[in-house]
Amino acid sequence: MSAYTSKIGKGYVLSSTLISTAMILLILAVLFVNSYGAIIEVGWKLFTLKWNPPDARFGILSMLYGSLVVTFLSLSIAVPVGVFTAVFTAEILPSKYRIYVKSSLELLAGIPSIIYGLIGVAFFSVWIGELFSLQSGRTIFTAAVLLSIMILPTIITLCDDAIHNVPRKYREAARGLGLYKYEVILSSILPIAKTDITGTVLLALGRSLGETMAVMLVIGSIDKMPQPFYNFLVPGQTVTSKLGREIAESAFGSLHFSVMMFMGIVLVIIVLSLTFVAQRYFKTGRLYE
Amino acid sequence: MLLSDILKLEDFMNRKWINKFFLLICWFVTVVSALTLIFLLTVIVFNGAQAINLDFLLTRSRDFGAEGGIFYQIIGSILLITGASLISFPIALGTAIFKSEYLKNNFLQRLSSILVYGLNGIPSIIFGIFGLIFFVHFLETGISWLVGAVILAIMIIPTIVLAAYQSINSIPKIYRDSALALGLNRWQVILKVVLPQGISGAITGLLIGAARAIGETAPIMFIATAFSGVEMPGSLFEPVTALPTHILALAQHATDSQALKNAWGTSLVLIILVFVFSVSALFTRIKLRSVSQR
Repeated sequence: MSAYTSKIGKGYVLSSTLISTAMILLILAVLFVNSYGAIIEVGWKLFTLKWNPPDARFGILSMLYGSLVVTFLSLSIAVPVGVFTAVFTAEILPSKYRIYVKSSLELLAGIPSIIYGLIGVAFFSVWIGELFSLQSGRTIFTAAVLLSIMILPTIITLCDDAIHNVPRKYREAARGLGLYKYEVILSSILPIAKTDITGTVLLALGRSLGETMAVMLVIGSIDKMPQPFYNFLVPGQTVTSKLGREIAESAFGSLHFSVMMFMGIVLVIIVLSLTFVAQRYFKTGRLYE
Repeated sequence: MLLSDILKLEDFMNRKWINKFFLLICWFVTVVSALTLIFLLTVIVFNGAQAINLDFLLTRSRDFGAEGGIFYQIIGSILLITGASLISFPIALGTAIFKSEYLKNNFLQRLSSILVYGLNGIPSIIFGIFGLIFFVHFLETGISWLVGAVILAIMIIPTIVLAAYQSINSIPKIYRDSALALGLNRWQVILKVVLPQGISGAITGLLIGAARAIGETAPIMFIATAFSGVEMPGSLFEPVTALPTHILALAQHATDSQALKNAWGTSLVLIILVFVFSVSALFTRIKLRSVSQR
């Protein structure tokens, strides 16, 4: 009897492991099979600028550019702000308040992205439109600002962990040399915490690239490169906003659909490589929640 | 060594003033980010509270959501999250047990970690597309809430596996050894020693995962939800309406003030649900820590 339950038990844990490990392979396979048509029929012309499905022009470069620009801008706002705030919470704030700050940051990090999208539609796009007197406030810059606010709690809390985890002895040794607080932080603590902070930045990068809802609502959805390419106060398009807007419109099995799948797989490959590189930076195998 | 070297601030400022300046920047940046985050919460709570009343929570939506309440949206979200939990929990718990108790090969151990945690890195919209192709078109299920629940379940499996695995791994080896010495076989050790600890870890993971899954829009918007006119699903293969997709539909009519008001109300309800899950996760985590330290 006992040997029998033992076998059933082992069968159960083995099969559940197979299911959870096979899932990612299945997703990648499905994406690849469906983007095969695009690779065969459109080929290298996928990496051109013009997007016009009725005309059979399937250039995805402006979407990729949009994704990279939005991500880069959002990180260049959120990372400096996040690191300075984390220095404050970990080094300057008295430690009895730390638990409150940490718990509220974790709660803030859990706000669903669609709600950021709503806030972006109701406030940020209006403000940015008025501030720069634009026709429409739905621009690449709006999406970047919104994303930077969205990833800020995550960056603060992970950087705070990174700084907090630096062993006490380094602080004490540096203080013992008569260094001021800023010298302790800049020359002793931040260099030690650097690997974990880099990991955090890479994770934030992956999250920004993969974010759909908040971006989709405020970016304006125009499939063009901005003119000139550094003008971020114009509507744009990212890979995710494109997928979110057009998947339902493109007929399943068509070339249009297949090109969309190709964009999806490019996105997945970029995000997954970032995630894996990031994981190597963290000493503990921390899962990005 | 780092910033001070590049800027050479020492040349024109003494160290005491640089220190003050640095602390001032830290304070300033913290105040800015705190105000931004407080602004977010205030906007949601303030605007949401004006829209919410008992009527809003208990009536069905009319006129594409611009009128009426969100009763069926709440039901739909709860259905989705319950389904996702029921599907993901046993699979994730089994995976965690197999990884910690059976899988001794180092290579397979690492491979399985990469595969499971890699799943966590996949952008949420990709899950939606995968569900659309694989379930809706390939398996021909049609747009149904069951597919939505399955996709959300796949999304949160890695979170639960990690939480369960960590708590199982924190069981001291001597517990297992003592149980084996008492004559229990491997599966009995799992049932009596590993499982109790594993389940509480998995519950923490499930709550964290549920907090994330209930707010997700992108995975379910193509495959599980219809925007309006849907009430209680009569079977497993019918669409529902859910809170996040309802906000999406309303946000697209942001010029209509009544629709916007309802969107804020829906957001507040959604955030309260998310917070209920994450606060319970915080509590189970604290409780769990005290158990394993005993």
